[in-house]
Amino acid sequence: MTTRVLIADDEALARSRMRRLLEELTEYEVIGEAASGSEALQMSMSGSPDVILLDIRMPGMGGIETARHLSALDDGPAVIFTTAFDSYAIEAFDSHAIGYLLKPVRREKLERALRFAAQLAHPQLEALVNDPEQPVTRSNICARRGESLHLIPLEDILYFQADQKYITVRHRLGEDLIDEPLKELDREFADQFIRIHRNTLVAMKWIERMEKTPDGQYEIWLRDCAEPLPVSRRHVTAVKASIKKCI
Amino acid sequence: MVLIATLTAIALTLARQTEWSLFFSDLARTSLLLVWTTLTITATLCLLRSRLNRFSVAGASILTFTAVIIVITAVSEIIYWIGTTYSSPNMPVTYSWFPQNHWYFLSSNIVVGIIMTGLALRYFYVSHQRQRNIESEARTRIHALQARIRPHFLFNSMNTIAELTRTNPKAAEIAVENLSDLFRASLADSHKLVSLAQELEITRVYQDMEQQRLGERLVVKWQLNGLPQQARIPSLTLQPLLENAIYHGVEPLPDVGVVEIEGRRKGNMIYLSVRNQLPIRKYQSEAGNQIALENIRERLELAFGSSASLSRAIDQTHYQVSIAFPVKE
Repeated sequence: MTTRVLIADDEALARSRMRRLLEELTEYEVIGEAASGSEALQMSMSGSPDVILLDIRMPGMGGIETARHLSALDDGPAVIFTTAFDSYAIEAFDSHAIGYLLKPVRREKLERALRFAAQLAHPQLEALVNDPEQPVTRSNICARRGESLHLIPLEDILYFQADQKYITVRHRLGEDLIDEPLKELDREFADQFIRIHRNTLVAMKWIERMEKTPDGQYEIWLRDCAEPLPVSRRHVTAVKASIKKCI
Repeated sequence: MVLIATLTAIALTLARQTEWSLFFSDLARTSLLLVWTTLTITATLCLLRSRLNRFSVAGASILTFTAVIIVITAVSEIIYWIGTTYSSPNMPVTYSWFPQNHWYFLSSNIVVGIIMTGLALRYFYVSHQRQRNIESEARTRIHALQARIRPHFLFNSMNTIAELTRTNPKAAEIAVENLSDLFRASLADSHKLVSLAQELEITRVYQDMEQQRLGERLVVKWQLNGLPQQARIPSLTLQPLLENAIYHGVEPLPDVGVVEIEGRRKGNMIYLSVRNQLPIRKYQSEAGNQIALENIRERLELAFGSSASLSRAIDQTHYQVSIAFPVKE
Protein backbone atom coordinates (compact mmCIF):
# COMPACT_ATOMS: atom_id res chain seq x y z
CA MET A 1 0.00 0.00 0.00
CA THR A 2 1.38 3.39 -0.88
CA THR A 3 1.52 6.32 1.49
CA ARG A 4 -0.18 9.41 0.20
CA VAL A 5 1.90 12.56 0.62
CA LEU A 6 0.99 16.23 0.31
CA ILE A 7 3.75 18.80 -0.28
CA ALA A 8 3.29 22.31 1.07
CA ASP A 9 5.90 24.92 0.21
CA ASP A 10 5.63 28.42 -1.21
CA GLU A 11 8.65 27.99 -3.49
CA ALA A 12 7.98 26.17 -6.76
CA LEU A 13 11.50 24.77 -7.06
CA ALA A 14 11.44 23.49 -3.51
CA ARG A 15 8.16 21.69 -4.25
CA SER A 16 9.39 20.16 -7.45
CA ARG A 17 12.56 18.89 -5.78
CA MET A 18 10.53 17.27 -3.04
CA ARG A 19 8.22 15.70 -5.60
CA ARG A 20 11.16 14.33 -7.55
CA LEU A 21 12.70 12.83 -4.40
CA LEU A 22 9.40 11.22 -3.47
CA GLU A 23 8.94 9.81 -6.94
CA GLU A 24 12.30 8.12 -6.66
CA LEU A 25 11.00 6.30 -3.60
CA THR A 26 8.56 3.60 -4.62
CA GLU A 27 6.04 3.33 -1.83
CA TYR A 28 4.99 7.00 -1.80
CA GLU A 29 2.51 8.85 -3.91
CA VAL A 30 2.34 12.63 -4.17
CA ILE A 31 -1.31 13.62 -4.10
CA GLY A 32 -0.75 17.33 -4.54
CA GLU A 33 1.30 20.45 -4.04
CA ALA A 34 0.09 23.37 -1.95
CA ALA A 35 1.69 26.81 -2.19
CA SER A 36 0.31 28.21 1.05
CA GLY A 37 -0.92 27.17 4.45
CA SER A 38 -4.58 27.61 3.64
CA GLU A 39 -4.20 25.65 0.40
CA ALA A 40 -2.53 22.88 2.37
CA LEU A 41 -5.47 22.82 4.75
CA GLN A 42 -8.03 22.61 1.94
CA MET A 43 -6.11 19.87 0.17
CA SER A 44 -5.81 17.94 3.41
CA MET A 45 -9.57 17.98 3.68
CA SER A 46 -10.24 17.00 0.09
CA GLY A 47 -7.33 14.66 -0.61
CA SER A 48 -6.90 13.11 2.87
CA PRO A 49 -3.15 12.55 2.65
CA ASP A 50 -1.40 10.28 5.15
CA VAL A 51 1.56 12.61 5.51
CA ILE A 52 2.10 16.30 4.84
CA LEU A 53 5.52 17.84 4.26
CA LEU A 54 4.95 21.31 5.61
CA ASP A 55 7.27 24.29 5.12
CA ILE A 56 7.47 26.54 8.17
CA ARG A 57 7.86 29.89 6.46
CA MET A 58 4.99 30.43 4.11
CA PRO A 59 3.16 33.66 3.35
CA GLY A 60 -0.15 34.27 5.07
CA MET A 61 -0.43 31.30 7.32
CA GLY A 62 2.89 29.69 8.26
CA GLY A 63 3.53 25.98 8.71
CA ILE A 64 3.18 25.90 12.46
CA GLU A 65 -0.20 27.56 12.44
CA THR A 66 -1.31 25.30 9.61
CA ALA A 67 -0.24 22.30 11.68
CA ARG A 68 -2.33 23.58 14.50
CA HIS A 69 -5.45 23.59 12.34
CA LEU A 70 -4.52 20.19 10.93
CA SER A 71 -4.19 18.75 14.40
CA ALA A 72 -7.84 19.63 15.00
CA LEU A 73 -8.99 17.49 12.06
CA ASP A 74 -10.37 14.10 13.04
CA ASP A 75 -8.36 12.22 10.50
CA GLY A 76 -5.60 14.71 9.78
CA PRO A 77 -2.28 13.76 8.20
CA ALA A 78 0.96 13.14 10.04
CA VAL A 79 3.06 16.30 9.82
CA ILE A 80 6.72 16.57 8.90
CA PHE A 81 7.99 20.14 8.98
CA THR A 82 10.53 21.33 6.46
CA THR A 83 12.70 24.39 6.83
CA ALA A 84 15.87 25.89 5.44
CA PHE A 85 16.89 27.48 8.70
CA ASP A 86 14.84 28.17 11.74
CA SER A 87 16.71 27.53 14.95
CA TYR A 88 13.85 28.57 17.21
CA ALA A 89 11.31 26.19 15.71
CA ILE A 90 13.78 23.32 15.54
CA GLU A 91 14.36 23.55 19.26
CA ALA A 92 10.64 23.13 19.80
CA PHE A 93 10.43 20.17 17.41
CA ASP A 94 13.30 18.44 19.14
CA SER A 95 11.73 18.89 22.53
CA HIS A 96 8.47 17.34 21.32
CA ALA A 97 9.96 14.62 19.12
CA ILE A 98 8.29 16.05 16.04
CA GLY A 99 9.60 15.13 12.61
CA TYR A 100 11.34 17.83 10.60
CA LEU A 101 13.65 17.99 7.62
CA LEU A 102 16.28 20.56 6.79
CA LYS A 103 16.41 21.81 3.24
CA PRO A 104 18.10 20.82 1.01
CA VAL A 105 16.69 17.48 2.10
CA ARG A 106 18.67 14.28 1.62
CA ARG A 107 16.80 11.36 0.20
CA GLU A 108 17.76 9.00 3.04
CA LYS A 109 16.60 11.48 5.63
CA LEU A 110 13.33 12.00 3.83
CA GLU A 111 12.80 8.25 3.67
CA ARG A 112 13.53 7.82 7.35
CA ALA A 113 11.27 10.72 8.37
CA LEU A 114 8.41 9.33 6.27
CA ARG A 115 8.76 5.86 7.75
CA PHE A 116 8.84 7.34 11.21
CA ALA A 117 5.89 9.64 10.53
CA ALA A 118 3.65 6.68 9.74
CA GLN A 119 4.04 5.48 13.31
CA LEU A 120 3.57 8.63 15.25
CA ALA A 121 1.42 11.57 14.60
CA HIS A 122 -1.04 13.45 16.62
CA PRO A 123 -0.05 13.30 20.27
CA GLN A 124 3.29 14.99 19.60
CA LEU A 125 1.75 17.65 17.44
CA GLU A 126 -0.88 18.42 20.02
CA ALA A 127 1.79 18.67 22.66
CA LEU A 128 3.61 21.21 20.50
CA VAL A 129 0.63 23.40 19.75
CA ASN A 130 -0.48 23.34 23.36
CA ASP A 131 2.97 23.98 24.77
CA PRO A 132 2.64 27.08 26.95
CA GLU A 133 6.32 27.82 26.39
CA GLN A 134 5.88 28.06 22.62
CA PRO A 135 2.51 29.70 22.24
CA VAL A 136 1.11 29.45 18.74
CA THR A 137 -1.42 32.21 18.47
CA ARG A 138 -3.51 31.56 15.43
CA SER A 139 -4.10 34.31 12.93
CA ASN A 140 -7.13 32.49 11.55
CA ILE A 141 -9.99 30.49 12.98
CA CYS A 142 -10.88 27.39 11.08
CA ALA A 143 -14.57 26.61 10.66
CA ARG A 144 -16.11 23.66 8.92
CA ARG A 145 -18.93 24.25 6.45
CA GLY A 146 -20.20 20.90 5.32
CA GLU A 147 -17.28 19.15 3.72
CA SER A 148 -14.97 22.13 3.37
CA LEU A 149 -12.93 24.21 5.78
CA HIS A 150 -13.08 27.95 5.98
CA LEU A 151 -10.42 30.13 7.45
CA ILE A 152 -11.68 33.27 9.14
CA PRO A 153 -8.96 35.89 9.64
CA LEU A 154 -8.80 36.85 13.29
CA GLU A 155 -8.93 40.56 12.46
CA ASP A 156 -12.35 40.08 10.85
CA ILE A 157 -13.91 38.48 13.91
CA LEU A 158 -16.28 40.65 15.96
CA TYR A 159 -17.11 38.23 18.74
CA PHE A 160 -17.36 34.65 19.90
CA GLN A 161 -20.54 33.56 21.62
CA ALA A 162 -21.05 30.19 23.26
CA ASP A 163 -24.32 28.30 22.88
CA GLN A 164 -25.06 25.04 24.55
CA LYS A 165 -22.88 23.00 22.28
CA TYR A 166 -21.06 25.19 19.80
CA ILE A 167 -19.53 28.60 19.59
CA THR A 168 -20.84 31.13 17.15
CA VAL A 169 -18.13 33.14 15.45
CA ARG A 170 -19.54 36.41 14.27
CA HIS A 171 -17.31 37.98 11.62
CA ARG A 172 -17.60 40.63 8.95
CA LEU A 173 -18.96 38.25 6.35
CA GLY A 174 -21.43 36.39 8.52
CA GLU A 175 -21.45 33.68 11.11
CA ASP A 176 -19.88 30.29 11.54
CA LEU A 177 -19.99 27.59 14.16
CA ILE A 178 -16.89 26.13 15.73
CA ASP A 179 -16.38 23.48 18.30
CA GLU A 180 -13.84 24.82 20.77
CA PRO A 181 -14.07 25.74 24.42
CA LEU A 182 -14.54 29.47 24.96
CA LYS A 183 -12.05 29.30 27.80
CA GLU A 184 -9.30 28.24 25.41
CA LEU A 185 -10.13 31.04 22.98
CA ASP A 186 -10.08 33.51 25.84
CA ARG A 187 -6.62 32.36 26.88
CA GLU A 188 -5.18 32.30 23.38
CA PHE A 189 -6.44 35.71 22.28
CA ALA A 190 -6.34 37.50 25.61
CA ASP A 191 -4.46 40.44 24.08
CA GLN A 192 -7.14 41.14 21.46
CA PHE A 193 -10.41 39.87 22.90
CA ILE A 194 -12.16 40.64 26.13
CA ARG A 195 -14.74 38.65 28.06
CA ILE A 196 -17.91 40.73 28.50
CA HIS A 197 -20.22 37.95 29.59
CA ARG A 198 -20.03 34.35 30.76
CA ASN A 199 -20.63 33.27 27.17
CA THR A 200 -19.20 36.15 25.09
CA LEU A 201 -15.74 37.24 23.97
CA VAL A 202 -15.53 40.51 22.06
CA ALA A 203 -12.75 41.85 19.84
CA MET A 204 -11.50 45.02 21.46
CA LYS A 205 -10.75 46.74 18.17
CA TRP A 206 -14.40 46.50 17.07
CA ILE A 207 -15.87 47.99 20.23
CA GLU A 208 -17.60 51.27 19.52
CA ARG A 209 -19.18 52.19 22.85
CA MET A 210 -20.69 50.85 26.03
CA GLU A 211 -24.11 52.09 27.17
CA LYS A 212 -26.31 51.74 30.20
CA THR A 213 -29.90 50.76 29.41
CA PRO A 214 -32.84 52.26 31.38
CA ASP A 215 -33.11 49.08 33.44
CA GLY A 216 -29.53 49.38 34.64
CA GLN A 217 -27.98 46.82 32.29
CA TYR A 218 -24.82 47.54 30.33
CA GLU A 219 -24.55 46.87 26.61
CA ILE A 220 -21.70 46.97 24.15
CA TRP A 221 -22.11 48.23 20.61
CA LEU A 222 -19.73 47.00 17.95
CA ARG A 223 -18.93 48.62 14.66
CA ASP A 224 -20.56 46.78 11.72
CA CYS A 225 -22.97 45.07 14.10
CA ALA A 226 -26.58 46.16 14.46
CA GLU A 227 -27.29 44.36 17.71
CA PRO A 228 -25.80 45.33 21.05
CA LEU A 229 -24.32 42.62 23.27
CA PRO A 230 -25.17 42.42 26.97
CA VAL A 231 -22.36 42.97 29.43
CA SER A 232 -22.74 40.98 32.62
CA ARG A 233 -22.50 42.79 35.93
CA ARG A 234 -19.30 41.16 37.07
CA HIS A 235 -17.42 42.10 33.89
CA VAL A 236 -18.46 45.76 33.74
CA THR A 237 -15.45 47.18 35.60
CA ALA A 238 -12.90 45.22 33.62
CA VAL A 239 -14.56 46.11 30.32
CA LYS A 240 -14.67 49.80 31.23
CA ALA A 241 -11.00 49.76 32.13
CA SER A 242 -9.93 48.16 28.90
CA ILE A 243 -12.10 50.44 26.77
CA LYS A 244 -10.44 53.38 28.46
CA LYS A 245 -7.02 51.88 27.78
CA CYS A 246 -7.84 51.38 24.12
CA ILE A 247 -8.95 54.97 23.66
CA MET B 1 38.56 48.97 49.75
CA VAL B 2 39.75 47.58 53.09
CA LEU B 3 42.84 46.24 51.35
CA ILE B 4 43.59 49.63 49.81
CA ALA B 5 43.09 51.29 53.20
CA THR B 6 45.41 48.87 54.97
CA LEU B 7 48.12 49.16 52.34
CA THR B 8 47.89 52.93 52.49
CA ALA B 9 48.20 52.75 56.26
CA ILE B 10 51.36 50.64 56.00
CA ALA B 11 52.85 53.02 53.46
CA LEU B 12 52.05 56.09 55.56
CA THR B 13 53.44 54.55 58.71
CA LEU B 14 56.64 53.40 57.01
CA ALA B 15 57.20 56.87 55.72
CA ARG B 16 56.54 58.48 59.07
CA GLN B 17 58.31 56.31 61.62
CA THR B 18 62.05 55.91 61.74
CA GLU B 19 62.18 53.00 64.21
CA TRP B 20 60.57 49.57 64.14
CA SER B 21 59.70 49.92 67.81
CA LEU B 22 57.25 52.63 67.04
CA PHE B 23 56.04 51.10 63.80
CA PHE B 24 53.35 48.70 65.03
CA SER B 25 51.57 50.96 67.43
CA ASP B 26 51.59 53.70 64.83
CA LEU B 27 50.35 51.28 62.17
CA ALA B 28 47.52 50.09 64.39
CA ARG B 29 46.50 53.66 65.06
CA THR B 30 46.74 54.74 61.42
CA SER B 31 44.93 51.75 59.97
CA LEU B 32 42.19 52.02 62.56
CA LEU B 33 41.55 55.54 61.41
CA LEU B 34 41.86 54.70 57.71
CA VAL B 35 39.75 51.57 57.74
CA TRP B 36 36.97 53.31 59.59
CA THR B 37 37.09 56.28 57.27
CA THR B 38 37.16 54.08 54.17
CA LEU B 39 34.28 51.91 55.29
CA THR B 40 32.16 54.92 56.13
CA ILE B 41 32.94 56.53 52.78
CA THR B 42 32.15 53.30 50.93
CA ALA B 43 28.84 52.94 52.77
CA THR B 44 27.96 56.57 52.04
CA LEU B 45 28.79 56.27 48.37
CA CYS B 46 26.79 53.04 48.13
CA LEU B 47 23.79 54.83 49.56
CA LEU B 48 24.28 57.72 47.14
CA ARG B 49 24.88 55.44 44.18
CA SER B 50 21.50 55.80 42.50
CA ARG B 51 21.75 59.58 42.79
CA LEU B 52 25.34 59.69 41.54
CA ASN B 53 24.32 57.75 38.46
CA ARG B 54 22.22 60.67 37.33
CA PHE B 55 25.21 63.04 37.17
CA SER B 56 27.87 63.40 34.53
CA VAL B 57 31.37 62.12 35.28
CA ALA B 58 32.49 65.56 36.46
CA GLY B 59 29.38 66.14 38.56
CA ALA B 60 29.59 62.73 40.17
CA SER B 61 33.28 63.28 40.95
CA ILE B 62 32.64 66.62 42.65
CA LEU B 63 29.83 65.05 44.66
CA THR B 64 32.10 62.16 45.65
CA PHE B 65 34.84 64.56 46.81
CA THR B 66 32.30 66.50 48.87
CA ALA B 67 30.99 63.33 50.45
CA VAL B 68 34.54 62.19 51.21
CA ILE B 69 35.44 65.49 52.88
CA ILE B 70 32.28 65.47 54.99
CA VAL B 71 32.80 61.88 56.08
CA ILE B 72 36.49 62.43 56.89
CA THR B 73 35.66 65.51 58.92
CA ALA B 74 32.99 63.63 60.83
CA VAL B 75 35.15 60.58 61.53
CA SER B 76 38.16 62.70 62.49
CA GLU B 77 36.06 64.80 64.84
CA ILE B 78 34.62 61.71 66.50
CA ILE B 79 38.07 60.17 66.95
CA TYR B 80 39.48 63.42 68.27
CA TRP B 81 36.59 63.68 70.66
CA ILE B 82 37.07 60.09 71.87
CA GLY B 83 40.80 60.82 72.19
CA THR B 84 40.37 63.91 74.35
CA THR B 85 37.69 62.32 76.46
CA TYR B 86 39.18 58.94 77.23
CA SER B 87 42.96 59.05 76.86
CA SER B 88 45.02 59.53 79.99
CA PRO B 89 46.70 62.91 79.97
CA ASN B 90 50.02 61.59 81.23
CA MET B 91 50.77 59.36 78.21
CA PRO B 92 53.80 60.41 76.17
CA VAL B 93 52.82 62.16 72.97
CA THR B 94 54.53 59.72 70.64
CA TYR B 95 52.82 56.70 72.14
CA SER B 96 49.44 58.26 72.25
CA TRP B 97 46.72 56.43 70.33
CA PHE B 98 44.83 59.56 69.71
CA PRO B 99 45.74 62.77 67.98
CA GLN B 100 46.87 65.77 69.99
CA ASN B 101 46.80 68.68 67.57
CA HIS B 102 43.21 69.15 66.54
CA TRP B 103 43.58 71.28 63.40
CA TYR B 104 46.61 69.58 62.06
CA PHE B 105 44.91 66.20 62.50
CA LEU B 106 41.74 67.30 60.72
CA SER B 107 43.35 69.12 57.82
CA SER B 108 45.98 66.46 57.12
CA ASN B 109 43.28 63.79 57.09
CA ILE B 110 41.24 65.76 54.59
CA VAL B 111 44.24 66.30 52.30
CA VAL B 112 45.16 62.61 52.39
CA GLY B 113 41.51 61.76 51.74
CA ILE B 114 41.31 64.02 48.70
CA ILE B 115 44.51 62.65 47.22
CA MET B 116 43.45 59.03 47.72
CA THR B 117 39.94 59.68 46.38
CA GLY B 118 41.42 61.33 43.32
CA LEU B 119 43.66 58.35 42.67
CA ALA B 120 40.83 55.87 43.21
CA LEU B 121 38.40 57.75 40.97
CA ARG B 122 40.96 57.98 38.23
CA TYR B 123 41.64 54.26 38.54
CA PHE B 124 37.95 53.34 38.36
CA TYR B 125 37.39 55.71 35.47
CA VAL B 126 40.23 54.25 33.40
CA SER B 127 39.29 50.65 34.10
CA HIS B 128 35.66 51.35 33.30
CA GLN B 129 36.64 53.02 30.05
CA ARG B 130 38.72 49.97 29.17
CA GLN B 131 35.83 47.67 29.95
CA ARG B 132 33.58 49.76 27.73
CA ASN B 133 36.02 49.62 24.87
CA ILE B 134 36.23 45.86 25.10
CA GLU B 135 32.45 45.57 25.13
CA SER B 136 31.87 47.85 22.19
CA GLU B 137 34.54 46.10 20.17
CA ALA B 138 32.88 42.75 20.85
CA ARG B 139 29.51 44.19 19.88
CA THR B 140 30.80 45.51 16.59
CA ARG B 141 32.29 42.14 15.80
CA ILE B 142 29.03 40.35 16.54
CA HIS B 143 27.13 42.82 14.41
CA ALA B 144 29.51 42.25 11.55
CA LEU B 145 28.93 38.51 11.79
CA GLN B 146 25.18 38.85 11.95
CA ALA B 147 25.07 41.29 9.09
CA ARG B 148 26.49 38.68 6.79
CA ILE B 149 24.14 36.91 4.49
CA ARG B 150 21.34 35.12 6.33
CA PRO B 151 21.61 31.36 6.77
CA HIS B 152 17.99 31.21 5.70
CA PHE B 153 19.02 32.59 2.31
CA LEU B 154 22.02 30.28 2.02
CA PHE B 155 20.11 27.07 2.60
CA ASN B 156 17.14 28.04 0.48
CA SER B 157 19.56 28.87 -2.33
CA MET B 158 21.25 25.51 -1.88
CA ASN B 159 17.85 23.85 -2.13
CA THR B 160 17.12 25.77 -5.32
CA ILE B 161 20.44 24.74 -6.78
CA ALA B 162 19.84 21.09 -5.80
CA GLU B 163 16.69 21.11 -7.90
CA LEU B 164 18.17 23.09 -10.79
CA THR B 165 21.08 20.65 -11.22
CA ARG B 166 18.52 18.14 -12.49
CA THR B 167 16.02 20.31 -14.27
CA ASN B 168 18.10 23.21 -15.55
CA PRO B 169 21.86 22.63 -15.29
CA LYS B 170 22.64 25.95 -16.99
CA ALA B 171 20.67 27.92 -14.42
CA ALA B 172 22.26 25.84 -11.66
CA GLU B 173 25.71 26.80 -12.91
CA ILE B 174 24.83 30.49 -12.88
CA ALA B 175 23.34 30.15 -9.42
CA VAL B 176 26.55 28.59 -8.10
CA GLU B 177 28.59 31.42 -9.62
CA ASN B 178 26.26 34.00 -8.14
CA LEU B 179 26.35 32.42 -4.72
CA SER B 180 30.15 32.32 -4.84
CA ASP B 181 30.31 36.02 -5.66
CA LEU B 182 28.01 36.82 -2.78
CA PHE B 183 29.96 34.80 -0.30
CA ARG B 184 33.26 36.17 -1.48
CA ALA B 185 31.89 39.64 -0.82
CA SER B 186 30.53 38.70 2.58
CA LEU B 187 33.75 37.01 3.67
CA ALA B 188 35.82 40.06 2.77
CA ASP B 189 36.64 42.64 5.40
CA SER B 190 33.35 44.33 6.18
CA HIS B 191 35.01 47.73 6.49
CA LYS B 192 36.49 47.57 3.01
CA LEU B 193 35.34 50.23 0.61
CA VAL B 194 34.33 49.18 -2.89
CA SER B 195 33.15 51.15 -5.86
CA LEU B 196 29.45 51.90 -6.14
CA ALA B 197 29.46 49.94 -9.41
CA GLN B 198 30.67 46.85 -7.56
CA GLU B 199 28.07 47.21 -4.83
CA LEU B 200 25.28 47.65 -7.37
CA GLU B 201 26.57 44.58 -9.19
CA ILE B 202 26.57 42.39 -6.07
CA THR B 203 23.08 43.59 -5.21
CA ARG B 204 21.91 42.58 -8.69
CA VAL B 205 23.58 39.20 -8.30
CA TYR B 206 21.70 38.76 -5.07
CA GLN B 207 18.49 39.78 -6.74
CA ASP B 208 19.09 37.13 -9.43
CA MET B 209 19.39 34.44 -6.79
CA GLU B 210 16.18 35.47 -5.10
CA GLN B 211 14.43 35.81 -8.45
CA GLN B 212 15.31 32.23 -9.22
CA ARG B 213 13.78 31.11 -5.94
CA LEU B 214 10.72 33.34 -5.71
CA GLY B 215 9.95 33.64 -9.40
CA GLU B 216 7.10 35.99 -10.26
CA ARG B 217 6.45 36.77 -6.64
CA LEU B 218 9.44 39.11 -6.59
CA VAL B 219 9.50 42.33 -8.56
CA VAL B 220 12.42 44.72 -8.07
CA LYS B 221 12.17 48.16 -9.66
CA TRP B 222 15.44 49.98 -10.09
CA GLN B 223 15.58 53.70 -10.59
CA LEU B 224 19.13 55.03 -10.68
CA ASN B 225 19.95 58.51 -11.88
CA GLY B 226 23.39 59.93 -12.43
CA LEU B 227 25.19 57.88 -9.80
CA PRO B 228 28.97 58.24 -9.95
CA GLN B 229 30.01 54.64 -10.53
CA GLN B 230 33.45 55.13 -9.04
CA ALA B 231 32.27 56.58 -5.71
CA ARG B 232 33.34 54.54 -2.70
CA ILE B 233 30.90 52.72 -0.47
CA PRO B 234 31.41 50.15 2.31
CA SER B 235 31.07 46.68 0.86
CA LEU B 236 27.60 45.10 1.36
CA THR B 237 25.71 48.27 2.20
CA LEU B 238 22.90 48.11 -0.34
CA GLN B 239 22.64 44.32 -0.64
CA PRO B 240 21.50 43.74 2.98
CA LEU B 241 18.82 46.40 2.50
CA LEU B 242 17.41 44.47 -0.44
CA GLU B 243 17.74 41.26 1.54
CA ASN B 244 15.74 42.73 4.41
CA ALA B 245 13.12 44.06 2.03
CA ILE B 246 12.67 40.64 0.47
CA TYR B 247 12.70 38.78 3.76
CA HIS B 248 10.20 41.07 5.49
CA GLY B 249 8.30 42.58 2.60
CA VAL B 250 8.07 40.00 -0.19
CA GLU B 251 8.30 36.50 1.24
CA PRO B 252 5.40 36.98 3.70
CA LEU B 253 3.08 38.23 0.95
CA PRO B 254 0.82 35.64 -0.67
CA ASP B 255 1.20 37.20 -4.10
CA VAL B 256 3.52 39.66 -5.79
CA GLY B 257 5.76 41.86 -3.66
CA VAL B 258 7.42 44.93 -5.13
CA VAL B 259 10.73 46.37 -3.93
CA GLU B 260 11.77 49.78 -5.19
CA ILE B 261 15.43 50.73 -5.21
CA GLU B 262 16.19 54.36 -5.88
CA GLY B 263 19.52 56.07 -6.25
CA ARG B 264 20.44 59.63 -7.13
CA ARG B 265 23.16 62.16 -6.75
CA LYS B 266 22.54 65.60 -5.38
CA GLY B 267 25.56 67.88 -5.20
CA ASN B 268 28.26 66.05 -3.39
CA MET B 269 25.92 63.50 -1.82
CA ILE B 270 24.65 60.13 -2.93
CA TYR B 271 21.19 59.01 -1.82
CA LEU B 272 20.10 55.39 -1.96
CA SER B 273 16.79 54.04 -0.72
CA VAL B 274 15.06 50.68 -0.61
CA ARG B 275 11.30 50.54 -0.16
CA ASN B 276 9.02 47.57 0.33
CA GLN B 277 5.39 46.85 1.08
CA LEU B 278 4.51 45.92 4.62
CA PRO B 279 2.73 42.64 5.14
CA ILE B 280 -0.44 42.97 7.22
CA ARG B 281 0.95 40.85 9.99
CA LYS B 282 4.49 40.98 11.13
CA TYR B 283 6.03 37.69 10.24
CA GLN B 284 8.83 37.79 12.74
CA SER B 285 10.35 40.15 15.20
CA GLU B 286 12.31 43.09 13.94
CA ALA B 287 15.40 42.24 15.94
CA GLY B 288 17.44 40.79 13.08
CA ASN B 289 16.61 43.72 10.87
CA GLN B 290 17.66 46.26 13.51
CA ILE B 291 21.04 44.62 13.91
CA ALA B 292 21.68 44.71 10.18
CA LEU B 293 20.70 48.39 9.98
CA GLU B 294 22.82 49.27 13.00
CA ASN B 295 25.75 47.55 11.37
CA ILE B 296 25.34 49.45 8.10
CA ARG B 297 25.06 52.69 10.05
CA GLU B 298 28.27 51.94 11.94
CA ARG B 299 30.19 51.14 8.80
CA LEU B 300 28.93 54.25 7.00
CA GLU B 301 29.97 56.35 9.95
CA LEU B 302 33.38 54.74 10.05
CA ALA B 303 33.91 55.43 6.36
CA PHE B 304 32.45 58.94 6.08
CA GLY B 305 32.06 60.28 9.61
CA SER B 306 28.99 62.28 10.49
CA SER B 307 28.23 63.33 6.92
CA ALA B 308 26.76 59.88 6.22
CA SER B 309 23.35 58.89 7.55
CA LEU B 310 20.83 56.09 7.60
CA SER B 311 17.14 56.61 8.26
CA ARG B 312 13.98 54.55 8.30
CA ALA B 313 10.46 55.58 7.43
CA ILE B 314 7.42 53.44 8.14
CA ASP B 315 3.85 54.25 7.16
CA GLN B 316 0.68 52.15 6.96
CA THR B 317 1.67 50.31 3.84
CA HIS B 318 5.39 50.73 3.23
CA TYR B 319 8.75 50.48 4.88
CA GLN B 320 11.70 52.45 3.57
CA VAL B 321 15.35 52.64 4.49
CA SER B 322 17.42 55.49 3.09
CA ILE B 323 21.13 56.08 3.23
CA ALA B 324 23.08 59.16 2.30
CA PHE B 325 26.83 59.55 2.01
CA PRO B 326 29.29 61.90 0.36
CA VAL B 327 30.94 61.17 -2.98
CA LYS B 328 34.48 60.00 -2.35
CA GLU B 329 36.45 58.67 -5.27
